[in-house]
Amino acid sequence: MFSLLLQKELKNIITSPKFTATFLVCSVLILISVFVGINEYENAVAQYQANQEIARQDIAQATSWGRVRNLLHREPNPVQIFVSGVHFDVGRVSSISDYNDVKLSRSPNSDETLFAIFRVIDFAFIVQIVLSLFAILFTYDAINGEREQGTLKLAFANSVSRAQYLLAKFSGIWLGLIFPLLIPILLSLLLLLAFNVPLTTGDWMSIVTLIGLSILYITFFMVIGILVSAITRSSSLSFLLLLVIWIGGVLIIPRLGVMAAGQLVPVESVAQIEAKQEAFRKARWDQYSAELTNVWQEREAQMNGMTEDERRAFRDDNEWTWLEEDDASRKLVQADIITNNRRLLEEAQNRKKVQEQLAFIIARISPVASYQLAAMKIAGTDVELKSRYEESMRAYKDDFSEYIQQKEAEGGGHGGFNITFDSEQGLNIDFGRNDQTLDTSDMPQYQTPELSLSATLGASLFDFGFLGFVTVLAFGGSVFAFLRYDLR
Amino acid sequence: MFKLIFLKELRDIIQSSRFTISFAVCSVLIILAFVMGAQNYLASKAQYDAAIQENRNQIAANTEWMMVEHSIMLPPQPLMTLVNGVSNDIGRNISMSGRGELRSENTRFNDEPIFAVFRFMDLEFIFGIILSLFAIIFAYDAINGEKNRGTLKLCFANPVSRAGYIGGKLAGSFVGLSVALLIPILIGCALLPVLGVQLSADEWLRLALILIAGIAYFGVFLAIAITISASTVKPSNAFLIGLVVWIFAVLIIPRTSVLISGRIVDVPNVDEITAQKNRYRSQLFDEDRPKMSNFQLPEGTEMEDAMGVFQSFMSDLSEARQEKVDIFNARLNEDYTNKKRQQERLALSLSRISPTSAFTLAATELAGTSLTLQNHFMDAAYTYQESYADFMNEKTGSNRSSGFRMVMITTDDTGEEPDPLDPDELPQFTFESQDVASASQAGMVDLSLLILFNLIFFGGAFRAFLNYDLR
Repeated sequence: MFSLLLQKELKNIITSPKFTATFLVCSVLILISVFVGINEYENAVAQYQANQEIARQDIAQATSWGRVRNLLHREPNPVQIFVSGVHFDVGRVSSISDYNDVKLSRSPNSDETLFAIFRVIDFAFIVQIVLSLFAILFTYDAINGEREQGTLKLAFANSVSRAQYLLAKFSGIWLGLIFPLLIPILLSLLLLLAFNVPLTTGDWMSIVTLIGLSILYITFFMVIGILVSAITRSSSLSFLLLLVIWIGGVLIIPRLGVMAAGQLVPVESVAQIEAKQEAFRKARWDQYSAELTNVWQEREAQMNGMTEDERRAFRDDNEWTWLEEDDASRKLVQADIITNNRRLLEEAQNRKKVQEQLAFIIARISPVASYQLAAMKIAGTDVELKSRYEESMRAYKDDFSEYIQQKEAEGGGHGGFNITFDSEQGLNIDFGRNDQTLDTSDMPQYQTPELSLSATLGASLFDFGFLGFVTVLAFGGSVFAFLRYDLR
Repeated sequence: MFKLIFLKELRDIIQSSRFTISFAVCSVLIILAFVMGAQNYLASKAQYDAAIQENRNQIAANTEWMMVEHSIMLPPQPLMTLVNGVSNDIGRNISMSGRGELRSENTRFNDEPIFAVFRFMDLEFIFGIILSLFAIIFAYDAINGEKNRGTLKLCFANPVSRAGYIGGKLAGSFVGLSVALLIPILIGCALLPVLGVQLSADEWLRLALILIAGIAYFGVFLAIAITISASTVKPSNAFLIGLVVWIFAVLIIPRTSVLISGRIVDVPNVDEITAQKNRYRSQLFDEDRPKMSNFQLPEGTEMEDAMGVFQSFMSDLSEARQEKVDIFNARLNEDYTNKKRQQERLALSLSRISPTSAFTLAATELAGTSLTLQNHFMDAAYTYQESYADFMNEKTGSNRSSGFRMVMITTDDTGEEPDPLDPDELPQFTFESQDVASASQAGMVDLSLLILFNLIFFGGAFRAFLNYDLR
């Protein structure tokens, strides 16, 4: 009996215009989205490679260690074809130098504002908004529609249990919706191969996980559709109710969560933090120059009472020590400034983390947010993308500065140029050596922060579980509702 | 008879549960969009004020104008939060220099990626995506539903012309629904001042125009749905076709047109351009190096003047360099900007096939958050740069073009602390969004396009219904 019901349901679906329309629209949407995604990914890779090349050339052309300019670029990741997440919104490049701290800027959208006006449609967006709507469309009249047509009574004239009937109904719709979806999905995977998108095994695993998550998400909306259909009498009412649930879940709750968290945990803007950093920097340098004046006055004082020749000899003797002392205290200032900058950033970062946690907790009232957050985690384009990169770039910057300083020390040079101002020799500018050919082969190389699959899966496990849990709960609810359903 | 049908249609709509539920949802959404927009505005304003204050504090901590690091910020505006447009994607801060290229940094989404995850819910989103869907849900069975119930035949038993019937139907649903939309819209507008967001007369006018565009856009989808309903027999089919149209208009066409224009017009890589500029600058510096190394104080220069002489020598050099850099940059920028404009124009024209794009463009143009926002901000910044340069020239005797600064710190034995600077002396940066006349002129194209869409689909509905089989 079960297989008979299942077959009937499948036949019903496949012959309906609803099925054709859904199939066509979904195919077009998924294929276009993946095509656009591949296109965007290729652009991003081209830009990334161009930047790598620029950085390489700049380093190759530098003639003194102090003038080595380095540039780091966020590496595009092929899974972003499916879930662009915040990729388009956060910065791509950061310069690496002694003078400025790491800061990712130039987000893809700020460079091409045209893309910002018409948002990207990626696979996750389509699943989240369009497929959930289709899932509702397939199930809103699952029970009450049959009642309205009178076929429900007819079906129960046979020896069939209600639970069995519901299960057959659900399985039929599920197969009828998911299988046709798999066709464009598989085609889009072929598209990836056709365009030679470089995917590692880990990437493939992520994509498969993502597809699994998407199916779970669609299932959730189907079950919700059946549940509402089993507690209402008329299909037009259940459709409207579902639409309300859909709008609330997909559109309102996630945004409200973020807005509420923004209200509850205000954070400082980057401009404000930068102004604070600037103020500290200035104060610290002022302090340094005051100290330096004192130091020089003390040095002068030591020379009190010496003859002109003794003075010169004393100066010549001590010049190197003095230079080193001054240099050391200058480095101390720089280190202080960096420490302070990072402390300010870290405080802001911590506050932002609190805000994000809160926002996501509120947003997860809606399983839609769970889906989106998990999908972004799996693709590695989640909200932490920026801080993850900035942290690893900061670590690299420290290595890089250390390397440059060491090289400078070896070469006997120094960064920048030195202006000496002498009452006798007048003014003299020393640029250090600038004719070196630099051997940069042992320069530290930047490693993109790798997210292991187990880490991303672990992070998305909660959302996976949560989605599964609410789906099972809703299914249980619909069985319970259907057992008490008035068939007439 | 028209009047009778019109009234019947109105009554039908208002009494249906479909209306009640969707009215409730739309009202909640629209009011939420206003409330969230207002909150968002106030939060951005607070951030903006704090950043300005911090900038002032930082300036006031200086004693030399020479040392000042000034930055200007794009002030948040209420309309920006009601119709986001590109406002979250463009850099809001520019660090000022007396001369040379300015660069805007710190986009909202880059600063706070959390808002990029789910994005904001603004009026453009509500009208563009949700209300258009509701228009279809409302009207997909306007004609064929009546036929299925048999009321269509019944109606035509009376002396009523087909044109009169469809006219009444269209007018009735349009008036009924737009009046229903107006209620939450007016509540939302009234909430703005209550929540502490003050709009100028100019901004009210813009908002009104945006809302008119929104209702016109809603009308387009209503007319599309009725046309579909009058061309199909089964309401369920009409709904599906409507949904397909909606998906194409809202999701597919706008994005595909960007894709196509990107393929047709090749825009040079921005990073490559930046690198070229940097390289040119450092090449020039290298060329000047021998000159600097060979610098000799003119014979008989007094020690006190030496610094000044050297300073002016350096600034002359950098002035000359900067001039070359400016020319070089201008040439690079021009090519880039032209290509980019060309790409944008093509994409926008293509996308206007979809009423959703027409609405988006009209709304963002009117709100001042269209693609031109960035240009406006940059233009304002460059205008400000002139007065800033004048000010710096007056205060320091140089307009600090090179980033080379040399300050001689001497200690007076008097022990007097130099006075801190007064940030109020700096010229104020003001940002005026495009005036309402030119904004509405730019938005008018799309607004009239929306009205044209309305006429076309109203006409389509008429035509389809005149040939409709009533049985």
